[in-house]
Amino acid sequence: MAPLIEATGLVKEFRRPRRDSGLTGALKHLVTRRFDIHRAVDGIDLRVGEGESVAYAGPNGAGKSTTVKLLTGILVPTAGEVRVAGVVPHRDRIANAKNVGVVFGQRTQLWWDLPVGDTFELLRDMYRIPAADYRRSLGRLTEVLEIGPLLPVLARKLSLGQRMRADLAAALLHQPHILYLDEPTIGLDLDVKDRVRTFLRQLVADGTTILLTTHDIGDIEEVCGRIVVIDEGRIRHDGPVEVLRDALASASSVRFQLSASAPLDLIRERLGDAEVTAPGERELVVRFDRTTRTAGAVAATVMGLVEVRDLRINDEGIADLIRRIHRPDEVTARSGAA
Amino acid sequence: MRPYRAMARLAWRNALAYRVPFLMSLSMLVFNLAAMFALWQALLSDGNSLAGFTWPQMKAYLLVSFVTNCLVSTFTDFAMASRIRSGAVAVDLVKPVDYQKGRFAEALGFALLETTAALVVCTVVLVAFGGVPWPSPGQLALFAASLLAVVPLKFLIVYMCGLLCFWTQNYLGISLARTAISGILSGATVPLVFFPPWLRHVAEVLPFQAITNTPAMLFLGRSPGLSAVSALAVQILWVVGLWWLARRLWHVAVRRLTVHGG
Amino acid sequence: MHTLRVYRRNLGAHLRATLEYQADFWILVVAAVLTQGAGLVLIATIFARVPRIHGWGVWEVVLIFAMMVLAQGTSELLAEGTWGLAGLINRGELDRMLLRPYPCLLQVCASRVGMNAFGNVTVGGGLLVTALLHLDVAWTPARIGLALVLLPSALVIKVSLTVVANSTSFWLRGAINTFAAGMDQLGELTKYPLSIYGVGLQAVLATALPFAFIGFFPVSVFLDHGRLAWIGLLTPAVAVYCVLLAVTVFRRGLRRYESAGN
Repeated sequence: MAPLIEATGLVKEFRRPRRDSGLTGALKHLVTRRFDIHRAVDGIDLRVGEGESVAYAGPNGAGKSTTVKLLTGILVPTAGEVRVAGVVPHRDRIANAKNVGVVFGQRTQLWWDLPVGDTFELLRDMYRIPAADYRRSLGRLTEVLEIGPLLPVLARKLSLGQRMRADLAAALLHQPHILYLDEPTIGLDLDVKDRVRTFLRQLVADGTTILLTTHDIGDIEEVCGRIVVIDEGRIRHDGPVEVLRDALASASSVRFQLSASAPLDLIRERLGDAEVTAPGERELVVRFDRTTRTAGAVAATVMGLVEVRDLRINDEGIADLIRRIHRPDEVTARSGAA
Repeated sequence: MRPYRAMARLAWRNALAYRVPFLMSLSMLVFNLAAMFALWQALLSDGNSLAGFTWPQMKAYLLVSFVTNCLVSTFTDFAMASRIRSGAVAVDLVKPVDYQKGRFAEALGFALLETTAALVVCTVVLVAFGGVPWPSPGQLALFAASLLAVVPLKFLIVYMCGLLCFWTQNYLGISLARTAISGILSGATVPLVFFPPWLRHVAEVLPFQAITNTPAMLFLGRSPGLSAVSALAVQILWVVGLWWLARRLWHVAVRRLTVHGG
Repeated sequence: MHTLRVYRRNLGAHLRATLEYQADFWILVVAAVLTQGAGLVLIATIFARVPRIHGWGVWEVVLIFAMMVLAQGTSELLAEGTWGLAGLINRGELDRMLLRPYPCLLQVCASRVGMNAFGNVTVGGGLLVTALLHLDVAWTPARIGLALVLLPSALVIKVSLTVVANSTSFWLRGAINTFAAGMDQLGELTKYPLSIYGVGLQAVLATALPFAFIGFFPVSVFLDHGRLAWIGLLTPAVAVYCVLLAVTVFRRGLRRYESAGN
């Protein structure tokens, strides 16, 4: 069976007017228009099968949101092809809209000036949802997301957590096959985050395909089965979340505060395959594989070579790992070791 | 004096931040000027005169009215309203500066820019259409003095309307209504001599006529001798009276803000 | 049909929400009445002194004026949302409209209701009827048919030109579209008989930016006024042209839309 989401060689370039600061710059801009070309998405291949739940991770400005906008048809790709459930999103926006639901964590889909209930009814009309389906769908969503009391409230009067729940319902009223979420838990408190994640897990269990961009490790670990890491518009890593988690289980690090600058070469020589970096002049971070050495042994080695004022033992989170995956040589080194 | 000078300077520098609404209102005034020029030209250009206005005199009247329309327009208007609506006015209240004088200092700063813009437009129009009767040096001095008095006068009217934002969120409506009323009663829409007597009498006892009618009449030398001086005196009396009234209104508004929490 | 129904419901929902702020509603109705009143004062005072302007009598000019006000009100009712387009693009909020299986342009149009609309539709409609009663029109079936074609065409032109003006936001990119506001104000010039303007301006208002087809030309042909009255027969064709132009410019713009952030 063909994958539900299929992107091949996807490229998106933005033209940014180059503007010098100040009045003369502004005037110059009126006469000569120069542009910088910025490649936000640089040749992405992505296949997502039905029922998958994929985390799309990477640092700010990596091209995550742009990819989602390309997949949803908001943006037209500069090059490459997209197909979502057999439809080219930007060419047949309306057909695509019926297949997908989208939630932006930072921006509401609700009509700002209207009561939530009115928004739902407008969406029902726009999506041409049959009355019976609408009643069933709304009933289920109101129950699970507990938004019954919010229906008569103006969207702009909702708290962030309430708004997110209403937004989720709005995106799911027409029972889409695919749900895109862009930073769905950003700014939410822990309790609401938990509820949203539980709800998303349930959706996946019921067969909805989910593509989720996030900075939050919890979202990835609790909701997704697969993680795709992107940086500078390219995919750097693609694999099951468990593999990543296992890699994490064996990785650890120690951070040292030193009284003098560290003899890096000497420490590297003594610690062999561990990775030694100096983020500050009197700072040292050693990352190592927990299966081959212990934090105590690492600490003892370093303390023998330089005076240590303080040390902290950290277990690495996915965040650190993602951050390091951005350096491709390191990725190959790691996957080679694993 | 020093804090107010600083505020005026700051306003002048911040003018760039309000350039969009300013350009919008300027373009509206320019297009309106164009329409009025065409309309009166159609009526007066073949040597006719209406209510004692010849075409060159009417040109002068329209230009004076344009300048008085430009003075103390958007900047003071929307800047103040948005500050009250956003609640930023609370910050103004804790500054060791008299609120009304502070806003006036800002209005003066903006007025410098508005005057520049108005003069540019007037120059272009004069070059394109030529021929307005120039007043004698004495009249010109009186005209200049009355134009100076227009700044505080118009400021006070705009300021008091702005204070209404303590009661309503809808400043657009207030601003539109004020523009319309002031446009009719100041003589900016039509010279007051065109009005039927009853409307003219109403306009004459209100402060609005001192905004456009007074300077325009002085420029055209239509208030000779003593009546010119008295017209100026009336203008200044209005400034003093409205200054006091605005203060009363401010106190009521602030009490509302501090007692009811906005 | 479905499309229209959703449009109506969308507008209706916003209307309901808007009407909840009663005071604001009345302030804007009064403001609209006063603003148009100022225009009428000008017309009335001029025609108190002269019988005709370029062959146009008072009620004929009022009829043009009424068409303009009615069209403005209609556009504020049906397409006020386009004035928010610059902001939607600037903040990337157009995204959510692109994600729905419904024409984006209609969503933009219905995303707001202009509260001046009620004032302007009422004033414009009232003036239209009053002017027609004073004009002693022979209501032959042909003339009724003509009116039934001209009126909606004129309104469509105004709405379409508003969409065109604001669609430039896709290229201009500020949070507020000054160009659109300027273009709208340029259109205000056609409140008066077109012949008072220079040939160049007449040509612009009749062809490139056909604002003259909202009031002047339809009224000309309806009253069979002047040598060029027949041009008014083109009004429906101009309406079709304007709709196509609006849709094309909006579509072109949408293709350029780059969302916010990246």
